[in-house]
Parts: sequence; C-alpha cells; structure tokens
Amino acid sequence: MKYLFTKQLWALALILLLFSCENGDDERPLGKYDSGILLMNEGAFGANDGEVFHFDPASGTLTQNIFETENNRPFAGLLEDMVLEEDRLYLVANTGKVEIVNPGDFKSIGAVIGDLDQPRSLATARGKLFISDYGPYDASFRTPDSYVAVVSGLDGGMVKKKIEVSNKPEDLFASGKYVFVAGSEEKKVEIIDADTETVTKTLEVSGKPVQFFEQRGDLWVYSYDRENVYFQSFHRDNLTKKNFLQVPIANATSRIALGEDDRIYILTSTGWPDYKDGIAVTSIFDSTLIPSWKAGSGFYGIGFDKARQEIYVANSKGFQGNGEVIVYRKDGSVVKTLEVGRGPSGFLVR
Amino acid sequence: MTLVFWVFSLLGFSASQDTVALAEVAVYAPVLDRFAQGQKVISFEKRDLEAYSARSLGDLLQEKSPVFVRQYGAGMLASPSFRGTSAGHTAVFWNGLPINSISLGQSDLSILPIQAIDQAEVHFGSSGALFGNEAIGGSVHLGTKAQFGQGFTGRMSQTFGSFGLSNSAISAGFSGKSFSTQTKLYRQFAQNDFPFRDLSRPGTPEIRAENAQTEQVGWVQDAAWNLSEKSQLKASLWWNRADRQIQPVMGSATLDTQQDQSWRAVLDYFRFGEGSIWNVKAGWVADQLTFNGSENRTRQFLLATDWDIQKIENWTFKVGARGTFAKGDLSTYSASDQRLELYQSAKWETSDRLSLSANFRQLGYQDQMEPFLPGLGMDFLIWEKVNHQLLLKASAGKGFKVPTLNDRFWSPGGNPDLLPEKSVNGEIGLHWLKKGGFAWEQSLTYYRMQVDNWIIWLPQGAIWSPQNIREVQNQGVEYQGKMTWKTGLWNWEARVSYTFSQALDLTSDSQNPRQLPYTPKQQANGSLETERNGFSMNLSTFYVGSRSIGTGNARVLAGYQLWNAGLSFSQLRWKKLQLPISFQVLNLLDRDYQVLYLRAMPGRSYQFNLTLIL
Repeated sequence: MKYLFTKQLWALALILLLFSCENGDDERPLGKYDSGILLMNEGAFGANDGEVFHFDPASGTLTQNIFETENNRPFAGLLEDMVLEEDRLYLVANTGKVEIVNPGDFKSIGAVIGDLDQPRSLATARGKLFISDYGPYDASFRTPDSYVAVVSGLDGGMVKKKIEVSNKPEDLFASGKYVFVAGSEEKKVEIIDADTETVTKTLEVSGKPVQFFEQRGDLWVYSYDRENVYFQSFHRDNLTKKNFLQVPIANATSRIALGEDDRIYILTSTGWPDYKDGIAVTSIFDSTLIPSWKAGSGFYGIGFDKARQEIYVANSKGFQGNGEVIVYRKDGSVVKTLEVGRGPSGFLVR
Repeated sequence: MTLVFWVFSLLGFSASQDTVALAEVAVYAPVLDRFAQGQKVISFEKRDLEAYSARSLGDLLQEKSPVFVRQYGAGMLASPSFRGTSAGHTAVFWNGLPINSISLGQSDLSILPIQAIDQAEVHFGSSGALFGNEAIGGSVHLGTKAQFGQGFTGRMSQTFGSFGLSNSAISAGFSGKSFSTQTKLYRQFAQNDFPFRDLSRPGTPEIRAENAQTEQVGWVQDAAWNLSEKSQLKASLWWNRADRQIQPVMGSATLDTQQDQSWRAVLDYFRFGEGSIWNVKAGWVADQLTFNGSENRTRQFLLATDWDIQKIENWTFKVGARGTFAKGDLSTYSASDQRLELYQSAKWETSDRLSLSANFRQLGYQDQMEPFLPGLGMDFLIWEKVNHQLLLKASAGKGFKVPTLNDRFWSPGGNPDLLPEKSVNGEIGLHWLKKGGFAWEQSLTYYRMQVDNWIIWLPQGAIWSPQNIREVQNQGVEYQGKMTWKTGLWNWEARVSYTFSQALDLTSDSQNPRQLPYTPKQQANGSLETERNGFSMNLSTFYVGSRSIGTGNARVLAGYQLWNAGLSFSQLRWKKLQLPISFQVLNLLDRDYQVLYLRAMPGRSYQFNLTLIL
C-alpha cells in the first residue's frame, strides 16, 4: 500500500513537472514564495526570534514565520540579511549562522553553522560562498578580527578559510571572479579574488561604505557620514574607481532602496537625544533631492516594489514585539499597513 | 518574661495574625500583615522552605504561588511577575531591608538562595503606603529568625543531584536567655550540562548545555541581645556571591559570565514600652555585578525609625520615617540618590467582626515630593460557626516606583526627566477556614489594577533610552485551597491553586488591547502529600499557560505542565543525631519546555538530600 502510494506521488510529481515545463521556459515550477515580497524581521537581541514573513500584494495575504512553517523548527537567530543567488536563498543570522533554503518553498537545503561569529552578508562566486563577518568583539567592544569567510560549496558546510579584511565588513558584491567588500568602519572597499581567496586590491572611499548596487550597468557603493551621502562607482575590469557623487543628506543610515526612475530612497535618523527618523530621496543621474520625503520614528528598513511602484517602510515599534510595515505610493499616500514580526528590517521583492 | 508579655500584648489580638509561631519566639520581628487588612499575603511554612532548600526562591514562587517567574535558563536570571506586572514592580525585603538593586530596580530570584533564609512571605497588590518603593505588583519579604533559649544547635545538609549539582550547607547556633547567635555557611554548585534539543540547528540534534555552570557561596550571621527587660538589639549580616556562566539563548554561542556579590547588613533596636514599641533600624546593602569583566557597584544606606502604639482600646497606630542614601558607580556613570519617606498606619478594630486599616506614605526623592500614597483595607468576619469562619477582605491602594539609577543616568540614553511609575490597585476576596478532621483553608481574590507611566527602554536610533510610555490595565482572579485530613495513620494534605491574569497593554492600540508579553493568562498548581511516622511522599504539578514573547501575537509560546515527586523520611536517628533524608524527581515526565523563548530548560532530574541535625 505504502509502495503504491509512493509510486502515485512520483507520478503526480512528474505530471506537475511536465505541466510546469510546458508553461514556460523556467526549469522548475513556481513555488509559493517565488512571487510576492519577503519581509525580513531581524528579531530582538537575546530572543533570537528573527523570521521571514511573506506578503502577496495581489491578494493582500500575509504569511507569518515561513521558515518555521516550512521547516518545523524556528529560525533561532537575528536575521541580518537575505541574499538570493544561484537559485538559493541565503538567510544570514548575525548570531552566527547562515541558513540556506529553496527560495520557492523555503525548505532547508543546508547551513553554515559554527566557525562564524557575527556574519553580516553573503555573496557567491566561483561556486563558493563568501560571508562577511565582524568577527568576535574584544573586551572594549571593538572588532579587530573582522573577516570574510569562505565555504567551498553553495549549499553550506564548513568554513575553509577566513580572509582578513578591514573592521566591520558589511555588504558583498560578486562580479565575475571578484568579490567586493564594503569595509564600513575603515572606509575601504576591498576586492577579493575568488580563485586565490585573497584580497587583491583595497580602495579608499568617502564615508562609511555599506551597500553595493547596480544602476545603468555600473556597480556602485553607497556610503554616508553625519553630513553627506556618497556614491562611488567602479571599473570592474581594472578594479579602479570610476564616478563619484556627494549629496548633502544629513543623518543618513545604512538602509536604502532603489526606487522608480533611478531614484534612491534613504532612511535617515538623528539618533538620540532629539530623535527623529525620516526618508530622503535622491538620484545619481539627475538633481533630485528631497531631504524629508517622510518623517517619523522607528523607521528600520525600506524596500521598493518595482512592479507596483510602491515603497515599503518598516517600523521596528521599539522591538517590543510585532513591528509594522507601511506601504506607500510614489506620491506618499498610504496603500496599506501590515502588522509583521519583530524588528522588520528589509525586503526582498520577488 | 516581661518582654515576652509585651510582645504578646501587642501581637496577640488580631485574628489574621499567625500567633502560633510566637509561642517560643522571643526575638521580636514586626508582623507583615499587622496593618495589611484586606490584602493578600501568602506565608510559606518552614516545611515548604525545607523542601526547596536546595532550589531557588524562583522555583518556590513559580511552583507554589500565583507569581509567574521569568526564568532565563536553569539557575539563570529569574525575575518575578506579580499580577501581570514586571520584575521591577516587585519590592524585595530581607529582614525589613529593601534589597532590590538600586541600579536595576529588581532582584534576581536565582541568587536569593532559600538556604540563606528562615522565613518567606509574599504580599500581593500595590501597597506603596505600607512597603514604599516598587511595591506595585506585590512584594517579597524574606527573613532570618533568631530564637532565645535553644542552647546549642547544629545542622549539616548535603544535596547531590543531576547535571553536577552539589549543594552543601552548615549552620550552628547558640542561644541563651538573653543572647542568641546563628551562623550559616552554604555553597551551591551546578555544572548544568543538561541535554536539550537544539532547535537552532538543522535536524534539531540533542546536545548538552554549555556555558551554564553556576556556583554560589554565602554566609549568614544573626545575633540578638536582650539589653534589658525592655530593649532588644538584633543584627543580621548576609554575604552572597554568585559566579555564573550565562547560558546562551539557542542559536547564539555567547560565552558570557556574570559575578554577583552582595553584602547586606541590618541592625534593629527595639524599645518596648507600655503599649508601644519603638524601633530604630539601620541597614546597608552593597552590590557588585560584574558582567564580562565590566564592573557595576552600588551601595545604599538606610536609617529608619518607627513607633508602634496601642494606647487606646481597639486602635493601633504606627508612625515612622525612613531615609535612604544610595550611590552607584556603574560601568558608564556614577550617581547618587537620596530618599526620605514618612509613613503612618492606623488600625481600628470596631468589633470582633470588623477591623479597618488605613496606611499613608509620603516620599521625597531628589528635589521632588511624590503625592501622598494612601492604602485602605478591611477584614470582615461574615460568618462564624463552630468549625467555620468566612472572612471578607477588601482593600485599595496605590503603588509607585522611582525610576532606577540606570533609567535616569545610564550613559548614553539615561533619561533624568522620567516620572515615577504609578499604580492603583483594588481587590476583594473571600477567605474560608474550616477546622476539624477534614480541615481546609480556601481563598478567592479578585483584583483590578492600573499601571501608568510604565517605563520601557526604546531605541532612538542606535541608542536605547527609557520612556514613561506604557499604560496597562490588569485584572484577575486568584484561588488558593489547602485541605488536610487523616486516613488511619496517614496524614494527608492537598493544595490547589488557580490564577487567571489579564494584563492589557493600552499603549499601542487602546481599542484592541492585547495581553502583555510573557504574561500567561492562566496558571495553576497542585500538590498531594501524605505522611506517616516521619515517612512522607509527595506529588506536585504546575501549569503555565501560553504567552506571547512580544507585544502583539507574532509568536506565542505553548503552555506547559510539569510534575515533581518526592519521598522523605525524617525519623532516621543515630544516637542524638537526627538524619532526615529526602529524594526528589523534578520534571518527572521529562517534558521539553521553555519558560522564555529558546531558553533551554532541563528535562528530568534527581536530587538526593541528607541532613544531620544536632
């Protein structure tokens, strides 16, 4: 009976596969999380309750805790970053692990556990994983031993090497055999050769580099300091700096979203004591500069849905529990408010 | 003898007071519920404390009272939540001395070992007028108990248990007619390498807890003198040092360590006059908390005096003043604080059936005076028959909490403009006593409370800062029952307790308020014990209902029920030595549970205790 059932399941799977193959060029069927928006909830320090929610803007359906739902175990970490590369979704927990799931159904594929300290982001190059990591704190809460960890396979495993980089590496970006590292504390962009697994070049940049992105075919890094934000592009062939732009946006944070017409939305925060958060908008290619597109408090993440031309703003609500996401139209009017998990911090628009 | 007479004449009249224990007690201690008419007080019996002597105050409160204890792991931080309030809303006293940390504004119940105390009482509800600062949800009153005329006493106790548990205690005392001394030394150690299912890893493998070792050592010294027929001096000293590795939350591999060292000393002078007792109290508390090498020290010195008078028939009064000087040298700031409190209490026994009490307190701290804090209470004997007594208790009161030193001065983020947290509490309850072959004591209490200006630390960018933001409405029902009976030579005792606690957070959404995080709506516990000729068996259970881990309901932890069982024999003797032995199984059914999210707790464990009493 059991054997029969298994056979039928196989047959069913085969039929599904055939149908889905007929429907398009894509090699695999579209999973339930392959469309819509993944909401990253960082979780609270000491609670390790980071999780991913899924939001379908078409139906308005919000699905909670999809990692736990699909894997029957909690994510159990502070979720720092989500990286979709090589048909895999990498969930980076700065509590010391990377979970790898199938982006369509969120089923666990593998993990990198142990050997990591405070991982921040990830990139894939040459069939390997490169994971930026602050390294351990020393007695005075500094991170002098920051590194980029190398794992041999795309599905996780052991860390085979730690490449020493400048303090507090954040975002990574792979371009061919090169992995660009945003060295936030020492204002450096370091470039790793994925074959030799060594830093081959170090470039000084203005401000604190935190985020790479591509616009109009160029690779840019976004950096900021108290008074300004900076954009620096690179020649990917000879690894030199290309164009540079400084924009007077004060109190910028590391959180940005690429919006419509090459606009860039930037979260700002004055910090303590006269605390005010805001959103500024600028552009590399024209003179757009809106210093205060929105103002408020508790802003913790920002995203942009290109298909619907909507801006997603996450509010941590003080990390006391459920956070909130407000969806805005380009004109600033509210589309929808969602109650989400703890510390919503970012979005992955599928 | 005169002294004993005075004590009796002052304390022997109230129906609600426990006069039984006074028979041999000549060392005076003011009774907690002397002016607490209409308020709920649970007094733990000596037997309860002995049964938990190798465990912590947190375990006792969780398993034997309506309090919810937030435990961060085995032997880790355990903080009490009374009636849906937070850890900082519980005042903790030792021999009448407030011992909450002045920088944190709370106590860790895991480092208040039961081995160090002789008595414990728990008071529920806001009673700022009676107990002062921090008595919002309730208060815990611990104490030592010296006695005169006992000669030499000695006791040695050793417990071995699972996961490397080894607790040792030794105490010795001497007391004559006018002098009494008692010394206690203890050490509690646990490797805490219990196995648990690590939910943070693929496949959720079973691993052993790491970095969770705890060790506590302590010394308690009590002394009392009858200086004259009318005056008594009492001194107590308590030193406790805890060295703990901090068990990481699942998914983190932190290797934090914490050392807590506390010195507490209290000196009481009592002058017994005709119908009056004058008390002068001096107290000193020095706490040192070192977390990962970062050191935080606080000291407080307290001087208080009060006068308890019963000169007019049926009226009892108390007036007093208390001054506190506190200083903190924390890792990020140094600050000091002074407080002055004036208080008075009155009790009127209108008849054999009705007694009323009124309590007031005025507090001043730094340069502000707080509103007068009143409290009113009533005990009314509704009905009395041969073996039955039905009592109606009703009370109302206010509570408050001065922002802690960390709240005001932590750098960066401290907010010197914070207002005190405030509460109003009202409760009404029935107390039914039945004596005889099948005796019982049952109480049912309904309470309602509102807490305002509740302080929460919120992020302001990267820096967290406290704000008077939360407003909470609490109400609930507490039932407690105890029954005793005999079948043949067996003595039986059964206890049942049920708590319903609603604590609605009006802050975020007052139209649709939700239950506060980590506040179970339902809790229950029960136990059954039987004893015959010194041999006893017990089976107990407690249930903690589901609770969300943050505001809103994104994640809810399932409720859990645990069972404990034990055997003991107290009549084992060798010559003049008594050798009571006991064996306990905790978490009998090996339940996998978490009190707080992803904080591993031990499965089934065993404890064996042998005591030598001289």
